Amino acid sequence: MSETPAIEIQSLTKLFGSNAALDGVDLSVPQGSVFGFLGPNGAGKTTTLRILTGLARPTSGRASILGQDVVHATNEVRSLIGFLPDAPGFYGWMSGREFLRFAGSLFGLQGAALEERVTVLLDMAGLADVRTRIGGYSRGMKQRLGIAQALINAPRLLLLDEPTSALDPIGRKEVLDMILSLSGRTTVFFSTHILADVERVCDSVAILNRGKVVMQDSVKGIKSRRGSRHVVVEVEGDPGRLEAMLRGEQCVDRLERTGDGLHVFASDLAAAQSVIPKAIVAAGTPLRRFEVLESSLEDAFVDLIGADTRP
Amino acid sequence: MSGFHAFLHKEFLEITRTWRIWVVPGMILFFAVASPILALATPALVASIAGSQPGIMIKVPEATAVDAYQQYLKNLNQLILIAIIISSAGCISGEVRGGTTTLVLTKPLSRTGFVLAKIVSQQVLLTASTIVGAGLCVLVTALLFGRSPVPYFLGAVFLWLLYALWMIVVMTLLSVLFVSQGGASGVGFGVYLLIALLSAWSPVAKFSPAGLISGASRILSGIRPDILPAAAVTILLALVFAALAVQRFRCKEL
Repeated sequence: MSETPAIEIQSLTKLFGSNAALDGVDLSVPQGSVFGFLGPNGAGKTTTLRILTGLARPTSGRASILGQDVVHATNEVRSLIGFLPDAPGFYGWMSGREFLRFAGSLFGLQGAALEERVTVLLDMAGLADVRTRIGGYSRGMKQRLGIAQALINAPRLLLLDEPTSALDPIGRKEVLDMILSLSGRTTVFFSTHILADVERVCDSVAILNRGKVVMQDSVKGIKSRRGSRHVVVEVEGDPGRLEAMLRGEQCVDRLERTGDGLHVFASDLAAAQSVIPKAIVAAGTPLRRFEVLESSLEDAFVDLIGADTRP
Repeated sequence: MSGFHAFLHKEFLEITRTWRIWVVPGMILFFAVASPILALATPALVASIAGSQPGIMIKVPEATAVDAYQQYLKNLNQLILIAIIISSAGCISGEVRGGTTTLVLTKPLSRTGFVLAKIVSQQVLLTASTIVGAGLCVLVTALLFGRSPVPYFLGAVFLWLLYALWMIVVMTLLSVLFVSQGGASGVGFGVYLLIALLSAWSPVAKFSPAGLISGASRILSGIRPDILPAAAVTILLALVFAALAVQRFRCKEL
């Protein structure tokens, strides 16, 4: 029997007036994965998370967390999850320790067990020695406290909405390190529009655009399916002759000029790696650079969404 | 109601740690002391003003303990109620705007528990402040005036408290309905003015919260008004408004 998915979404639709924020979203997130929910701003990522956490209701369709319907089994679902919203609001008059105690008490935790968990999480968030109230925290500190409070109940599913946006590079690295440290211990589902973050920490990814999931796969799978590996050739002088020679080759799909450089996109990369050096010799142009470039998630993202993201 | 006690504990902690401990309780205690002193000093003040004007002679009767209590009740009816309206107007919308609801309501705390904890914490704070304030006012009045009609005074304060507790429920409902604290305050102030006007119209006052306001003044004057219908309607309305606040908040998307 297959394991219940951490998140299962079927035909999920959310309308705001006549505008569809979500338009029949289907998604399945396996347990134990670090899952990136990618999409441009306004794609519907936050709306999806608001529905999963019970903060909003779907117009139609269904969503479940670990087999529990998110609309009807609200408290049962909430006891299984940890959630960090994109702009978490804290009680500025509390200290970080007090807030974690309060968050734990909402789950019924108390006494020594709660104190022990609070201490461990403050330590993990690098806030153990901070004595100031939350009102005096930096954005990065608040974000780390946000992740800590989302872990107070040792959740089976951690939902993070844009956890690294608006953080400086150091704050971003700290938050990503925290997420990486959770890998294998709990399912992490995080939305972001920062592709590098997904490449760094996620094993699976779904790409959302205009309220629809346009692709779901492993990061490697998406890169190999959508991103195209290609060869960059830079020569001394004008690469026009080389370009003309390669244009007729069967294995070459497309050529792009960038100054002295030539990007050769090939349908058969192995054949291209043999054809291109021969063409360079035949053209008699001195070679400066010959490099096979791996496709990135950004290539795949742009390929999938491209100009469609802008009205 | 899961998480209710934890959230209620947070509310009480917040009261002691923030401005909330100073506004309504501070004002109640201040007027509990100031009202009898002001009542005692009023005849002397009026006489000194009149004495500075040649040809004018005003005879002001000597102040009594009843004047002290009436002065206190007047302050409760005006300044304290306005303070309650303003401070309660953002009790729900403030948390929604500040983003704290998205953290606490994604934990096992029901929306019903959230709204009820807000009402209960404010009502407990007001009740405790009113009890201490009434005791303080009786003490200061006794020191300045000697014997006083304490049971009448306590009866009047009780009716005022019932009305103020109802006003907290009204303001909580308005804080659910209005995104801005200013909007809820404005409508709350309108309700306050309407009730003040209705309190002078006996047929309506008898069967509305307005009857508690007029009843409090009459008790202090030694009259025993029939306040049961007004009290029953006030309690019933408070329950209806609390249920409505919960229902509207449960439907709200955050």
